[in-house]
Amino acid sequence: MIGQTQKPLEEILGYLEGREKVVLVGCGGCATVFHTGGEPEVKEMADILSQKGKEVLAAIAPPFGEFTCYAPWSKARLSKYRREIEECDAILMLTCGDGLQVVREFILEGEFDLLKPIYPGTNAIGHMGGGPTLFREKCQQCGECELGRYAGICPLTQCAKGLLNGPCGGSKDGKCEVDPERDCAWVLIYERLRALGELDRMREEPRTKDYSKMTRPRRIEVSPLVLEEGAE
Amino acid sequence: MKLSDLFEEGRFVVTAEIGPPKGGDVREPLEVAELLKGRVDAANVTDQQSSVMRLGSLALCHLLKERGLEPIFQVTCRDRNRIALQSDLLSAYVLGIENVLCLTGDHISLGDHPDAKPVFDLDSVSLLMAARRLQEGYDLAGKELKGRPEFFLGAAVNPGYDPLELQIIKMEKKVKAGAQFFQTQAVYEPRKFEEFMEQVKYLHVPVMAGIVLLKSAGMARFMNANVAGVHVPDSLIEEVGRARDREARIEKSIEIAARLIRQVKDLCQGVHIMALGWERLIPAVLDAAGLLSRPQGGQ
Repeated sequence: MIGQTQKPLEEILGYLEGREKVVLVGCGGCATVFHTGGEPEVKEMADILSQKGKEVLAAIAPPFGEFTCYAPWSKARLSKYRREIEECDAILMLTCGDGLQVVREFILEGEFDLLKPIYPGTNAIGHMGGGPTLFREKCQQCGECELGRYAGICPLTQCAKGLLNGPCGGSKDGKCEVDPERDCAWVLIYERLRALGELDRMREEPRTKDYSKMTRPRRIEVSPLVLEEGAE
Repeated sequence: MKLSDLFEEGRFVVTAEIGPPKGGDVREPLEVAELLKGRVDAANVTDQQSSVMRLGSLALCHLLKERGLEPIFQVTCRDRNRIALQSDLLSAYVLGIENVLCLTGDHISLGDHPDAKPVFDLDSVSLLMAARRLQEGYDLAGKELKGRPEFFLGAAVNPGYDPLELQIIKMEKKVKAGAQFFQTQAVYEPRKFEEFMEQVKYLHVPVMAGIVLLKSAGMARFMNANVAGVHVPDSLIEEVGRARDREARIEKSIEIAARLIRQVKDLCQGVHIMALGWERLIPAVLDAAGLLSRPQGGQ
């Protein structure tokens, strides 16, 4: 999931300065789990904006499970609000940056042929796992998964320096020099490999990472997902 | 005399650390260099130590070399990717700088530009590998070089690291990647250091014990709480704490450093003195430790 936090209200209001009619769009995926763009948050933001004198033409909160970053679903949902979207001065997205850009590119520009200001209401902070309360960043989509070599613990993500040949000299009492609350990934990897009887993996040839697999923006084409019953 | 030859001849090698200034005024480090010349075999020049932006290591290494003090070019992986690192290694070679200490580097969040982008494209081990590859006439991408550089490659090790087995695995990895000598994190417990040296004997690589001047009891307690693998025993903290004024502290600091050097002298192949601002005391430490002047090399 994409971890996220809400942006400071001042920043959001700054974007909307001089733009009176607003459409709000949330997300039934990650933003619902992180309480930044689920139904309650979309409603709350609509109330705040109304109090600030904005006219909220539509407050769109997809139900849980309906991801705004999946264009077929957003297209189906936002098409129901096409009139409001055409009329508004700005769209505020309570989604990650992915959701915002999918709506901008695939829906506004691709489907509606509309040029509209669109602004973020959240800050995405990483690909995370865990819950229901604590989440931790686990994967950085490096394009060449290293977990098979490091006992199922990602050194690129769990180590603050992303070392493939760790630990560094800053690890103290099994904790990281960047944050003493955080475990040193390399001590975890060492302990797990040791318990698995695979410590020799640590003695393998030193490796360098192929960062060409992270050259951005990456893209992929797949056959479309067949759903029993679209997005309603 | 070359650092590599000194180890080869079995001499007890002495190095010290010099930090580049934050700014363009190099008078202070060059004065220190004059004091150290003839007393140490080489001087490490740190690379943006503690992630604080300063004058570059390569430039100061060059100035030391010009003035007749053998430099050890410290290189970290924090600020440069593999293209820049390999290029700087080649630059060092053409400037006559052959000793390179390959380090990962502190994280950016510890320094004075915490909002900078951390690089860490390589790490200490893969940097050693890159340097060795350059010496073989190729770069990391496998492309052939016109003119092979020559280096004497060093690395760091922390004898007080816990778990020690993990540290020794990494040390072994560094040796396999090309490390030809090691400088250690500060040593304050000669007995534990002796055990460490016993465990790494199989690697057959020269090790220089790190000697950090103890300036005060507060500094000792700070290191115990914050520096990985460093433990200053209570007896030393009490000893340095008894010094009443600055003069007495300086005297005590020299005495303790000299004693530690004598205690580790027969256990390892050299000492690396980190004075952290008290570089002008290094000659006195060496006098007290019985390490006399080094006419073209060790004694």
